[in-house]
Amino acid sequence: MNRSRKGLKASSFRCVTLLLLVAALFTITPGALQAYNLEDRVQRTTLENGLRVLLVERHTSPTVSLYIRHLVGAVDDGEGKTGAAHLLEHMLFKGTSTIGTKNFKEEERVLKKIRETGTALDRERMKGARADEAEVKRLAKELKELQSEAKEWVVENEIDRLYSENGAADLNASTGQDVTTYKVSLPANRIELWARIEADRMTNPVLREFYTERDVVIEERRQTYESVPSRKLMELFLATAFTASPYRRPIIGWPSDISFLAPDYLEAFFKQYHSPNNTVIAIVGDINTAKTLEMVKKYFGPIPSHELAAHHVTEEPAQSGEKRTELVAEANPYLAIGWHKPTLPSFEDYVFDVIEALLSKGRTSRLHRSIVQGKQIAEDVSAANGMPAARYPNLFMVTGTPRHPHTAEELEQAVYEEIDNLKKEPVKKQELEKIINQLRAEFIRDLSSNSGLASRLSYYEIITGDYRYMTRYIQMIEKVTPKDIMEAAKKYLVEENRTVAVLVKKEKP
Amino acid sequence: MKRTLALSLVILLISTGLCLADPAETPKPPSWPDPDRLSYEEIKFSPPKPERVVLENGLTVYFLEDRELPLVNISFIVGAGSVFEPPGKEGLAEMTGDVMRTGGAGKLSGDQIDEELESLAAPVSISLGMEYGTGSLSVLKKDLNPAFKIFADIIRHPAFDEAKLEQEKNLKIEELRRVFDKPQRLAFREYKRAIYAGNPRGRLPEIASIEKMDREDLAAFHKAHFFPRNLRVAVTGDLSKQEALELIGRHFDDWDEEGDFGTVPLPKPQENAPLYYYEKKVPQSTVIIGTIGPGKESPDFYPFTVLDYILGSGGFRSRIFQEIRSNRGLAYSAGSFYDGRQGYGSFGAYAMTKSESTGQVLTLMEGILKDAQDSRFPAQDLHLAKRSIVNSYIFSFTSSHMIAFQHMILEFQGLPTKFLTEYPAKIDAVSREDVMKVAEKYLDPKRRTIFVLGDQGKFDEPLKSFGEVKRVK
Repeated sequence: MNRSRKGLKASSFRCVTLLLLVAALFTITPGALQAYNLEDRVQRTTLENGLRVLLVERHTSPTVSLYIRHLVGAVDDGEGKTGAAHLLEHMLFKGTSTIGTKNFKEEERVLKKIRETGTALDRERMKGARADEAEVKRLAKELKELQSEAKEWVVENEIDRLYSENGAADLNASTGQDVTTYKVSLPANRIELWARIEADRMTNPVLREFYTERDVVIEERRQTYESVPSRKLMELFLATAFTASPYRRPIIGWPSDISFLAPDYLEAFFKQYHSPNNTVIAIVGDINTAKTLEMVKKYFGPIPSHELAAHHVTEEPAQSGEKRTELVAEANPYLAIGWHKPTLPSFEDYVFDVIEALLSKGRTSRLHRSIVQGKQIAEDVSAANGMPAARYPNLFMVTGTPRHPHTAEELEQAVYEEIDNLKKEPVKKQELEKIINQLRAEFIRDLSSNSGLASRLSYYEIITGDYRYMTRYIQMIEKVTPKDIMEAAKKYLVEENRTVAVLVKKEKP
Repeated sequence: MKRTLALSLVILLISTGLCLADPAETPKPPSWPDPDRLSYEEIKFSPPKPERVVLENGLTVYFLEDRELPLVNISFIVGAGSVFEPPGKEGLAEMTGDVMRTGGAGKLSGDQIDEELESLAAPVSISLGMEYGTGSLSVLKKDLNPAFKIFADIIRHPAFDEAKLEQEKNLKIEELRRVFDKPQRLAFREYKRAIYAGNPRGRLPEIASIEKMDREDLAAFHKAHFFPRNLRVAVTGDLSKQEALELIGRHFDDWDEEGDFGTVPLPKPQENAPLYYYEKKVPQSTVIIGTIGPGKESPDFYPFTVLDYILGSGGFRSRIFQEIRSNRGLAYSAGSFYDGRQGYGSFGAYAMTKSESTGQVLTLMEGILKDAQDSRFPAQDLHLAKRSIVNSYIFSFTSSHMIAFQHMILEFQGLPTKFLTEYPAKIDAVSREDVMKVAEKYLDPKRRTIFVLGDQGKFDEPLKSFGEVKRVK
């Protein structure tokens, strides 16, 4: 769940992850930028329990941005349990055995009964048409009564209250395919509050109000998918492009899976994946590095870690034929195209970052110039590398909205023309230089935000195991040649490797 | 003595031994202190104050030096917005801003400007909103001169190239066609039309009004609203005050246009309005209950800000979120918003819920608003609201550009600078009676606008049980 004060967005759409990948391009160019050598400013420590801590001091304002990332996401949900990681993220705002309860001993008693009744109810509902209606009704009533009883012991939304009262900004969490993130910005003197809350919820979370929250997630699905056809199309697109890989499954979960997610499963999931050795913390802002590290050690140091179970993730077999699908809906046409490719840190992934910028970064980019401005057949068309996520081989995508009366078919052909140009003509030096210039400038801008820095540092550390992927990024990008671009396009951006999904407008009878 | 000593030694050794017994033993977790009783060092922070200079021609400049990075950030506020659009030309303000950016300026064509700015990696953006417009330039210090020249030309000499205008018109028309595909966006757009009915703010761009626009319209709108006295510029970053003033002077000193600031009637809350219903067959309804609230200059601004926080802006603990989402699982998005503007404020409570619980949610929302009027909310809600607002206030000052922009917009809205420094104390002083008074004054059920977008065939209760229904579609 991606939360913010005004307007709540579902975390499920992973463009944010992509933006992080693209936008987080840092450089250490010689000369003037040497002073901004980020690598020197990051203090990296690994605690005994495996928790990795990244600290950066920045004293512009007495505020601090704090990120916690766990290497767990929708890919780890399990068959028939899609949406588990995402629902767990929601549940982790319900508090712990010491936060959010008036008396945990009493509460625990009722929670146990709720779990028993809820489990029995789910079991009966699972029978579908053969379910005993009377039994379902009885159990539902019993559940409601128990929930009322449990409410007596609950102090609602205490974590949010504690943070808000102490001046939090950007209190947020998100679940991706790869990674789950808990973040907050606070006045700089509130770090102990953060440590107190976060270490506790990494140790003793209590899944209270489980069944109500499960309903909230179903409403979230309704809001962000069922009511928005273009989002439904993206969900369908990913489920088609990936036949075997877990990337085919929606982060928020399939509706029937969500409706049967169980507290026992989520608890086991939590224990398995929120281990300190599976976690990275980044703190950027007005801190004293030594004192902050002490605080982190004090609260997080004692958290026991355990060996992470090795588990195999189904590999996507090579695609050898175009896949096409469509969604008929009462909405204007929308087009999504994707090609399979290797993920970071392979060199080809860097090449695709450059291709993405070439095709759609800014008004002078190729897709914008030729299709939006030139042919004027699209309202919008953009490229995105690294969809939906980065732990496993992923996609290079192009999406677009045709401009009436032009069709999705016309747009599709126009896109392929630009893709073909990449294969035929080497990119000019000036064009490549422009892109590198833009990435360097973005690096500098990103240094002026505590949360931007904390986000990128923690993201690269958790995904690649080394935050310096980021500080060395521009050096890698500078190695990309026009020949590399042509070869990558010829190898991967081909018909047999491609999936196309089209939103088709429902014709009125 | 000796025996006691020996015994003490033994005890000492044993206890030491116990402590060191098992080095592999997991250390005990810290006793979890009460998070409400932690103590914090006081933060003493005085945000820097920008310098203010007014040129002879009336253009106002705010400046703050910031040498952290080799960057310069420049933004402006201009008194140009959709409220000034002539009837029949809805969308003109936005279009003018868009084509100022894309349609060429000075001696350069739109394409040349795109090339230049993107090679310099110096983004320029312009956006003319409802009551005012803003623009910005972000550039590396080394490229300041060429980038600023383009920026200044865009402000003073936009070309409004016909072909580029045509492009933007086509894109806007497509956008308007597609707004129907996004139910929440559509709901807020139609709600805006309803709440501002009879006021220029309620006139929205339509395909017809966009199609009718031509180059002369844009040029006239620009001429009418872009003049030195109507523009305020904030400059921050890696440069000195002298450098900043020299740069601005070089490009704006000889600008001696004059113009009309223009006045627009303020919106008024609707009296005994019908319930507006917009039919769209979607599984989830959007419900909005709104009204016109106090402006930023009003003493009611502070208690109303606190009220809004208690009702729905205050995250998970706010009344609407708690009742509709946390307690009953009826919504994912639910809350309220309040924007105190010049002379009036925009307030609304909202929730997105499935068709089958739309009636239930409407009832809950009305109940919560009534509770506020009857002062029926827990004392801790008031305490939490005040503490949260005051403690997070520091986040309005996290960058030098943010600070300069704050000062700039304050002046534009006719407010004194001390507004910024007095804000926390004024929020702190808000009492329960104050909140109840503004709730009574502004949340009168007879002076509200209720808007529902959804599929009434599937609602749990007929809409007419909430009032006279006016179907807008």
